[in-house]
Amino acid sequence: MTDPVVAVEGLSKWYGQVIGLNDVTASIPPGITGLLGPNGAGKSTLMKVVTGQLQPSQGRVAVLGAPIWGNPSAYAAIGYCPDQDAFYERMTGLEWVAALTRLHGFDDDAAAAAARKALETVDLAEAADKKIGAYSKGMRQRVKLAQAIAHDPRLLVLDEPLAGLDPLGRRRTINLIKAWARAGKSIIVSSHILHEIELMTRSILLIDHGRILAEGNVHQIRDLIDEHPHKVRIRTPVPRVLARRLLDLPDVIGLSFEEDRIVVDTGRPDDFYSALTTLAAEGEIAVDEVTSPDDSLQAVFSYLVKS
Amino acid sequence: MLSFGRAAVRVFDLSLGEMLWSRRTVFMAVVAGGPMVIAVALRIAATSAAVRLTGSPGPSFALGGPDIFGLMIWAFYLRFTVPVLGVFYGTSLIADEVEDGTLTYLFSRPIPRGAILVGKYLAYLVCTSVVVLPSVVVVYFSVVPLFGGSVGAGFPSLVVDLGLIGVGLAVYGAAFAFVGARLRRPLLSGLLFIFGWEPVVVLVPGYMKNLSVAYYLQGLVPHAAPQDEPMTLLRSALQTFDAAPAAWVCLLALAVIWAVTLGAAVLTVERREYVLER
Repeated sequence: MTDPVVAVEGLSKWYGQVIGLNDVTASIPPGITGLLGPNGAGKSTLMKVVTGQLQPSQGRVAVLGAPIWGNPSAYAAIGYCPDQDAFYERMTGLEWVAALTRLHGFDDDAAAAAARKALETVDLAEAADKKIGAYSKGMRQRVKLAQAIAHDPRLLVLDEPLAGLDPLGRRRTINLIKAWARAGKSIIVSSHILHEIELMTRSILLIDHGRILAEGNVHQIRDLIDEHPHKVRIRTPVPRVLARRLLDLPDVIGLSFEEDRIVVDTGRPDDFYSALTTLAAEGEIAVDEVTSPDDSLQAVFSYLVKS
Repeated sequence: MLSFGRAAVRVFDLSLGEMLWSRRTVFMAVVAGGPMVIAVALRIAATSAAVRLTGSPGPSFALGGPDIFGLMIWAFYLRFTVPVLGVFYGTSLIADEVEDGTLTYLFSRPIPRGAILVGKYLAYLVCTSVVVLPSVVVVYFSVVPLFGGSVGAGFPSLVVDLGLIGVGLAVYGAAFAFVGARLRRPLLSGLLFIFGWEPVVVLVPGYMKNLSVAYYLQGLVPHAAPQDEPMTLLRSALQTFDAAPAAWVCLLALAVIWAVTLGAAVLTVERREYVLER
C-alpha cells in the first residue's frame, strides 16, 4: 500500500466559537483527490491547514510524511493555488510567477525559465508580459495555477481552480489537472460542484460542516450509504414482465417506469445486482442495459448531506 | 530552503517595486514635499525682501538660515514626517498583504515567515529614504543660505541630520511593524502613539518620556538652539531640548527599541495565523 500524501488525524480547527473543522481524520492517497462540499463546509480551511497556512487547534497533520505547521522547508514540495482573486496587480504575469519562484531558491535565470514554462503550460505565454491587472478572470485563474506549478511540486493543492472559468476554460483546466496527475503529481482539488470533481477523479473526500462525511471512491462511498435507496435503471423490451419478477426479490424497495426502462430502488445493491444477473442468465427475460444513476457524485453527496 | 537573510533580500526585491508605486507613496511624497514647499517659499520671500531693502540698512534677524533649517528638521521631519511615515508604512507591512489577500502566496513558500517581514521592512526603509532624504537636501540648500548662512559650514550637520532621519525611519518603522503585526487596528494605535502619547510624555517631567522614540531622537539633534528671546520662550514651552539625555544614551536606547520591536515583530509573524483575518 502506498503512503498517503496527506494524513490527518483528529484534526479540529476552530475560530473562537466557530468550528471550522471537527475531528477530521482522513488519509489522502497519491493521484487526484476531490475535496467536495458546499460553500462553508470547511474545504478551504482544510486546504489551509494542509498547506501550513493555519495551525490545527487539535490533532495532527502530516504532508508527504512531515508535519506541516511551522515547517516551511516542507512547503518546497507543495504548490498551492488559493481561492481568493488576489495579486500584485502592477506586476506582469511573468514577473510575479518568477518572483514567487525565486522564493523557492531558484536563481534569477532559473526562476524566469520556470515561470515562462509554467505560463506556457497554462496557455498564458502570450500574456506573460502583460500586467496582471489587465488579465481577464480566466487568465487570473490560470496565472494562479502557474505560480503553483512553477517550482515543480510533488503535491498540488488547488482551491476551487475552476471557479469563474467559462466552459472552455474549465475543460482546459480539467485536462491540465489530469495531465499533471499522469505526470506523477498528487493533486487535491476542491469544488462545490460535483460534476467538476467527477470529471477529474473518482477518489473523493466529502466534507460538510467541518466533518468528513465520506472518503474513498464513489463505490466505496456507496457501501457507506446502504440505508439509502440505490437506484438501478434497467432497459428491457418487456418492462412489465421484468417488473413482476423483480418485485419478488427481497432487496427491491420500490419500482417505477420510465419509457422503456424500469427504475428500481434497492437498499442492498450488491445483492440486487447478483439476483438480476441470475435472472438475466436464465434467458426468460431480456435485459438490454443496466445503469445506475446513483453512481453520480451528486446522488451520493445528496444522500450523505441529508443523513 | 533559502537562509533567512537571502529570503529577506528576495522578499525585498519583490516588495520594493510594489511599495514604491503604491498610492501610499503619493501620500508620502505630499508629506515629504510639504517642508520643501515651505523652504522654497521662505527662500523666495527672503529674496524678495532683500530686493526691496536694497539701499536701506539691512534687517536684523534673530534666526539665521542654519537655525531655521534645524527647526525644520526637528518640527517637520523628526516630529512629523518620520513618525507619520513610520506609522503608515510600518503598520502596513503585513496588514496590506492580509487585506489584499496576497500574504498566502508568500506564506506558502519555503522561507521563514519572519524573513517576509524583514524583507518588506527593508523595502520600506529604502522606499521612504529615497523620498525623504532628497527632500531634506532640497530644504537644506533652500534655507541654510538665508540671512548669511553658509552652505559649506553647515554641511556636516546636514550629514548628521540625514543619518538622524534614517535612524528615525528605522526605529519608528520597526516599532510600527510590530504594532502592525500584532494589533487588529494598527493604524489607529500608531497615530495615537505619535500624536497623542509622544507629544505629551516628552513634555511631562519624570520617566514616562523614556517610553517614546521622540525623546531619544531629540537628544541627537545636532543644532545648537538659538539664544534669542523667542527661541528661549519656545524651548521653555516645549521643555524638550533641556531634558535630552547624552547622545550615546540616545543611540543605545534607539538601538534597543529597534532590536526589540523588530525582533518581536518577526516572532509575531512567525507564530500568528493571518489567513484567518480574511
